[in-house]
Amino acid sequence: MLQNELFNNVIRDFNAGHWELHVDPSREIWSEKFYTFLGFDEKEIKPDIDYFLEHLIHKEDVEVFRDNFLNYRRNQVNFKQHIKILTKEGNYKLFRCATNDELPVNIKSEIYLIFFFEIKLEPEQDISKDNFYYKETAQMTATGSWYVDFHKRKSYWDFETRRILEYEDDYMPSLKDSANYYSEDCRQQAADLFFNCAMAGTPFNTEIKMVTANKRIFWVRAIGKPVYNENKEIIGIRGVFQDIDDIKTKELKLQKSIDIIASQNSRLFNFAHIVSHNLRSHTSNLSLLVQLIEDIDDPTEKIALIKEITQISSSLNTTIEHLNEIVAIHTNKDQERRSVKFQDALSLVTSGIGQMIAVSKTSIDVDFSQLKEIDYIPAYLESILLNLITNAIKYKHKERDPVIEIKTYEKGKSKYLKITDNGRGIDMKLFKDKVFGMYKTFHYNEDAVGIGLFLTKNQVESLNGNIAIESEVDKGTTFLIEF
Amino acid sequence: MSHTIGLACIIDDDSMYVNLVKKIIEAKKLCKNLMIFQNGMEALNYFEAILNNLDKKSIPEIIFLDLNMPIMDGWEFLENFTKIENKINKVITLYIVSSSINPVDIEKAKQMNSVKDYLIKPVTIEDLEAIFLGEVL
Repeated sequence: MLQNELFNNVIRDFNAGHWELHVDPSREIWSEKFYTFLGFDEKEIKPDIDYFLEHLIHKEDVEVFRDNFLNYRRNQVNFKQHIKILTKEGNYKLFRCATNDELPVNIKSEIYLIFFFEIKLEPEQDISKDNFYYKETAQMTATGSWYVDFHKRKSYWDFETRRILEYEDDYMPSLKDSANYYSEDCRQQAADLFFNCAMAGTPFNTEIKMVTANKRIFWVRAIGKPVYNENKEIIGIRGVFQDIDDIKTKELKLQKSIDIIASQNSRLFNFAHIVSHNLRSHTSNLSLLVQLIEDIDDPTEKIALIKEITQISSSLNTTIEHLNEIVAIHTNKDQERRSVKFQDALSLVTSGIGQMIAVSKTSIDVDFSQLKEIDYIPAYLESILLNLITNAIKYKHKERDPVIEIKTYEKGKSKYLKITDNGRGIDMKLFKDKVFGMYKTFHYNEDAVGIGLFLTKNQVESLNGNIAIESEVDKGTTFLIEF
Repeated sequence: MSHTIGLACIIDDDSMYVNLVKKIIEAKKLCKNLMIFQNGMEALNYFEAILNNLDKKSIPEIIFLDLNMPIMDGWEFLENFTKIENKINKVITLYIVSSSINPVDIEKAKQMNSVKDYLIKPVTIEDLEAIFLGEVL
């Protein structure tokens, strides 16, 4: 009841006539006020859209109003429009039409309404001046309008559409090649939107990338809705393109920063967890040891236990060194990148572990022909190569000598380093989520520490890259780094 | 010594911790025999193997399980262990002993029926005594 009363008050305060829309058109209602505005009596005319379009509304406004009306009735698309309506006296009155979204936010209406606010014109105010304002608005907001006519199979652009798409003023848009106005990755999206609008009358309002005459790709907001004829058939699509490249570019940048922050945050969280866990395991051993020393009375046993402290202290040191290495990655990432030749980095690494390579009879096949160098922190590239190569050798297959293939290449805008070995492989079903974790080992090797891949991943990611792994037990492992 | 526990089992990859607990158990004579596995996989292999040849003497009465281990961690072990637990016709009391103070871990452990309690490292000599003696009561 209260809601209803509120609603009625709002309607009264609006000082507007209204039109109640219903699924069944014969149940539609014009308010008393609306009849009064037009000077008619309820008994004289029925609230009927066909009659309204044919006899009451000014010819200039018919088409736009018909589209707005039908879109609102069928798809609940709110609209605002100025229209001129014939009164009983034979004059046209100017009205501003608005729909439910004009209602205050706290008022919800179950029924779809169109409000008609009368606009009283000063004598010198000419309605035709509107045209000037439209043009002005279009330019100021970089919003161009367009129309696709299905019967004539043609599209029409206004001056502003031509301007934002960087075409000459006399350029005639082509309907046949219209896909070319959209950037390649958005063509399917555009086709779907137009198809659904043409077939099902679904209006659209979306952000999409377009291509200008000068092949510049930029973001637009594309809004379109179907155009209906007298028989309520869809005969075209009308809409606007607004240049939103500035805003969208900022939005994307912002999104990228959010992603970076989120990933840094998660690494930080992970790091805190590692610190807490790894340091705790040593301190708790220390505490256990101290308890034991205090508890035991035999002096020789006590002395033996005290020696254990050395062991704990050295493990603690190792852990802290590992943690330092990780922290160093994050502080070093601002270190200067410079051009590094893959061959140079590899030569440094292989000469450092020459003994290991020789003893294990490892052969390394190198192909840097497609991408010879990269801007990177040299120490990182060496560390990445060192870790992946020593891993391949440490976890070689028992029945064959290690063969490592190293290849660099460019694909699209990205640069890649691919390292494939023929080692024993890692069971990805079991270890998928853990491969790059700290202190995770997947083999029974004594010297497996579980720090190498963790460091590698951190190094790659600190420079905004990615590392992926594919592996099959007994076949081998492939690491793919995207720089 | 009739109330001493016969066989206890530690699943933990931290050899220092395992040695210290072993020393305490020996010094305090808390149990007769102690089995040690370095990770969940080793322990699981053992339990799966003895299923075929159930000898009560080879089944531990208490298990101390670490969470963070290579190859197979404590959670994975638990997941597999609960599947075979009821085939073992003997009550096994399982404690998680971990240095993780992550509330998510602690809560998750409490939800599991097979887990008697969650002990945060460092454990104390008193803790161990209470567990071993309490078991018998």
